Amino acid sequence: MDKALFTAMSGAKQTMQAQTVHAHNLANVSTTGFQRDFVTAQSRYVHADYAQPSRAMALTTTPATDFSQGALQQTGRDLDVAVEGEGFIAVIAKDGTEAYTRAGNLRVDSLGQLTTGNGLPVLGNGAPIAIPPAEKVEIGADGTISIRALGQGPDALASVDRIKLVRANADELQKRTDGLLQAKDGNPLDPDANSRVVSGYLETSNVNAVEAMTEVLSLSRQFELQIKFLHKVDQNTEAATRLLSVS
Amino acid sequence: MHSALWISKTGLSAQDKQLTTISNNLSNAATVGFKRDRAVFEDLLYQIHRQPGAQSSESTELPSGLQLGTGVKVAGTQKQFTEGSLQITDQALDVAINGRGFFEVLMPDGSAAYTRNGQFHLSADGQIVNVNGMLLQPAITVPDNMNSLTIGKDGVVTAVAAGTSQPQQLGNIQVHDFINPAGLQAIGANVFQATASSGTAQTTTPGTEGVGSLEQGTLENSNVDVVEELVNMITTQRAYEMNSKVISTADQMLQYVSQNL
Repeated sequence: MDKALFTAMSGAKQTMQAQTVHAHNLANVSTTGFQRDFVTAQSRYVHADYAQPSRAMALTTTPATDFSQGALQQTGRDLDVAVEGEGFIAVIAKDGTEAYTRAGNLRVDSLGQLTTGNGLPVLGNGAPIAIPPAEKVEIGADGTISIRALGQGPDALASVDRIKLVRANADELQKRTDGLLQAKDGNPLDPDANSRVVSGYLETSNVNAVEAMTEVLSLSRQFELQIKFLHKVDQNTEAATRLLSVS
Repeated sequence: MHSALWISKTGLSAQDKQLTTISNNLSNAATVGFKRDRAVFEDLLYQIHRQPGAQSSESTELPSGLQLGTGVKVAGTQKQFTEGSLQITDQALDVAINGRGFFEVLMPDGSAAYTRNGQFHLSADGQIVNVNGMLLQPAITVPDNMNSLTIGKDGVVTAVAAGTSQPQQLGNIQVHDFINPAGLQAIGANVFQATASSGTAQTTTPGTEGVGSLEQGTLENSNVDVVEELVNMITTQRAYEMNSKVISTADQMLQYVSQNL
């Protein structure tokens, strides 16, 4: 049996996995603060002493996440924040560890804790942020939260806490299985004093729908090519069998 | 089978829910005291197919792995409690809350519900009720020979009895505030119910403790921004189309396999 069959099959299989990544990106085209995954294919040579050095299998990997900024969408809500540049909001993930996100649709829960839209506590100066009952909550450009407590005049603004904002290079972070980000070494990052947020805005997903769509279409043609190859190998084998058959 | 099919299916159903939210917002663009919803999207979990950093041999490690996401879901809808614009109606029993807070009304089953729709009426017994006949709490009864009903900014309801000139105090309208209004459960008919997430209602006199004051002869419009909803509708439709295109592409790929092999 010609091993070309398996080489072509590895291409087809990896193409389907790459397609999965683009489908996931496209499904999250309207998820607040979503960051798309890159996907690349690598060639892996399979050397054996008796084999041709031409056997290279495809290997799909997701080497990194694209941390470029999505568009800012105005919402006018006080507790919606968008992080400018390469900064991230620190939250406590469901497993209790510190993780990072750019989804800034914050809210205050019934216990007065500041959480993200899906209920993860937002980290402040060392601990989750608690906001006392307030008439108005303002989030400043550096993440400082100031409130006008119930019954207080506009001159009595009190500063409560400051959202922990961190900055990291793209190669220092990785996506966790719950979609949040964490440092590759697993340690919490230090707060960054220069990160800025804008209140009243949300960051849209940074998926470029046209690009993702084009990738999906081009991968589908690539897939057809590989299937065609499988077909050809099959035909070759069939021809060989026919020629060598006794009857 | 091709997992892109299922992933795009999650995209379709999320966009579908988004459209439902938008259409509910748009149909309530003229509902007094309506607060618009926003669908909150969240990416689903990732599956690690190849662990990045795993040893590929004793001295080398894989530089990058393969993590495949599994799509998107609507984590929930978030009510936006921004204030709608105020509209002057000059009706004595139209009241708007200018600021935070809710009116409390009594549900038919005896439980409390909260609303920002201040279109009140009088029942046959002279009690102040909302448009569905739910009693305003605490109950205020207006005797039948009363003229010029006045509701003060602090909620004091006064009226002048026929033949006299001295205003008579009938009761107080109170305003109820929640620590997390977005956690209230909307049950239709413009009313909300308290939940564990909203916290319990704190009752105060209008205009004090940070809650809004009352404005008689005024109604609060819906806070739906029609243009914004229409723009959201466009993006939703296009995102839906693209996700369905991925499904048809994945389908064609599988079809190609079964036809050619």
